[in-house]
Amino acid sequence: MRTALILGFVVLTGTCGEISLTHAMKRVGEVREFSPAAIWRVLLRSFREVWLWIAVGLMAVSFYAFLTMLSWYPVSFVVPATSLAYVAGALGAKFLLGERLSAGRWAGVVFISFGVALAWIDLPTLQHLRNLYGVSRDLIFVVALAPLVFYLFGACAAWRFFRNSRARAANEAGDFTPPVSILKPLRGLDRGAYENFASFCRQEYPRYEILFAVSGEEDPAVPVVRRLVRDFPGIPIRLLVDPERKGTNDKVGKLCLLAQEAGNPLLVITDSDVRVAPDYLRKVAAIFRDPQVGAVTALYRAIDAPSFGAVMDTMGSLSFSGSALVARALEGLKFTMGSTIAITREGLAEIGGFAPLLDMHSDDYELGRRIAQKGYRVELAPDPVDMEFPSESLGDYLRHELRWLIGLRHVRRGGHFGLLMTQGIAWAAAAAVLAPSLRASAAWIFAYLIIRLVSGYVIGVWGLGDPVVRRRLWLLPLHDLFWFVLWLASFGVNRIEWRGLVFTLEKGRMIPVASRPEGA
Amino acid sequence: MEPIVSSSRELKAKTYIVLFLMMTLGSVGNTILDKGMKGLGPIDFSTRAAIWQGAFHTFTSGTIWVGICCMLLFMVCHMLVLSWADYSFVMLFSAITYALVPLLGYLWLREYVPFTRRIGIVLIVFGVFLVSRTPPRTTPSMPDGSSS
Repeated sequence: MRTALILGFVVLTGTCGEISLTHAMKRVGEVREFSPAAIWRVLLRSFREVWLWIAVGLMAVSFYAFLTMLSWYPVSFVVPATSLAYVAGALGAKFLLGERLSAGRWAGVVFISFGVALAWIDLPTLQHLRNLYGVSRDLIFVVALAPLVFYLFGACAAWRFFRNSRARAANEAGDFTPPVSILKPLRGLDRGAYENFASFCRQEYPRYEILFAVSGEEDPAVPVVRRLVRDFPGIPIRLLVDPERKGTNDKVGKLCLLAQEAGNPLLVITDSDVRVAPDYLRKVAAIFRDPQVGAVTALYRAIDAPSFGAVMDTMGSLSFSGSALVARALEGLKFTMGSTIAITREGLAEIGGFAPLLDMHSDDYELGRRIAQKGYRVELAPDPVDMEFPSESLGDYLRHELRWLIGLRHVRRGGHFGLLMTQGIAWAAAAAVLAPSLRASAAWIFAYLIIRLVSGYVIGVWGLGDPVVRRRLWLLPLHDLFWFVLWLASFGVNRIEWRGLVFTLEKGRMIPVASRPEGA
Repeated sequence: MEPIVSSSRELKAKTYIVLFLMMTLGSVGNTILDKGMKGLGPIDFSTRAAIWQGAFHTFTSGTIWVGICCMLLFMVCHMLVLSWADYSFVMLFSAITYALVPLLGYLWLREYVPFTRRIGIVLIVFGVFLVSRTPPRTTPSMPDGSSS
């Protein structure tokens, strides 16, 4: 254990020091002149960078730890072992400095790490390596517990949230009813579109309007909205047609127009495949009684699953709900979901309206993040909304989940990397492979299955009341397997295909591939 | 103001020149410090006076100061190259010193190089060759650091 600790310390402090130094020098700027006076000026500027001094401190600590390691072990062990710093450095460069590591550079990392290790290793060192393997195995066993703890914590967070929200809903009269504008940006028709839209016309709410937006009269959603206007004459429903494309994210372009036309102080935006209960608006609006609340979002559940891809999608929404509830319990929600985004006009104005999100991929996530950054709370509606998942193939499901993961990596690198600790099936498999006996291997797999399914039941069946999860909960481990593979794949891909167009993502912004300048 | 950006060729040239200087200064500095410290003999830590005496001998040795100067210049080169090149590029490229030291030992001093070390050298050289085929910078350039 001592070996692993000192080695980890040397590698981490050294790598963090080098990364801090790089960050400091990048802030100083590219050096183009090499006269002594110019170099002296650059050095003076770098001395004013706090990151430089953090780097010096970290590298000094790392060097001292390295000397300590040398006093304990022969150099033929220390040098090969610390070649791990190349791997740590490459990961740090990618995730902290935003460098793009091509396949060639990753191959270089592998060859150089093994090369340095081989160039300095000797026979007595092999015994140390055997010990190191034992320590690594122990560490993997410890880390493999993290996803299981995460699942249990998710179940506890769900238990607490749904129990409290149900008790509150039973006691609250819901008499805080500011006028609401429901905004519906549309493109094409989802399954059950009429019923989805009609559920918003059946709200038990004193004053609200519904605004739909499409890009053109030829959109198949137009006749459905016109039928809605005929069927619900008592509800102010408007259909806006705007062919102008304001940014790469067409949905946000429509939201800009809808927000401009909306006449009420509270805006409620929902995806077109969402269906709600008659008390939905009353419950969402009631949360805004607290002036500290800046936005309200909602969990979601499937109405049914017409295909295997839709079943996997449902399992995905169950997992996401678990993560959202854990995030809420730990630090409060810092994002919103497309299933519901309720926001006041004042709050929207404070974040600059929808316009800054025109090119963003994860607009729903970004909107909540920006509201939270302004010091407001983002709250969850007490009830989930219903979602009409499309009849998609497994390939469709995998593609859009991969797109979502790539989007997450671009807006929240730490959160995306942190998903490593939620990959229960991968860690359980690793622990089972390394376990000293067949019985211990079986125990790891059994523990994963039991805890995962119990957690899934509490969140999906008891909490969300999802009928698909109730019937197909046993498919949750299969979803976890797909999810792990997609998560790995999302590290190497920056291109996404969205509604027939290809984009690259840069800091969460979608850039159409065709419009990129040559050589960029 | 638009950042002033080096052309790809200019960037590669200055990166390789400064990296070469950095690796030379680092290797020479380490060797001189090694020679200087060995010349002083083992430092006695048994009494406080002995430690002071050891420190005095260390910092009055011309060889040690030449070594320290080399290491300071090494650090300056390291900082300069990091102002434009990727950390992942510089870190991996400078690994060539791990291959150069035993290689020079074999060529000049006829030291014995075991088989595993020879394989290691080949892997390092090949790894550095792969890295050298990637662009030294993959992040946007910041404004000119030497012009202000």
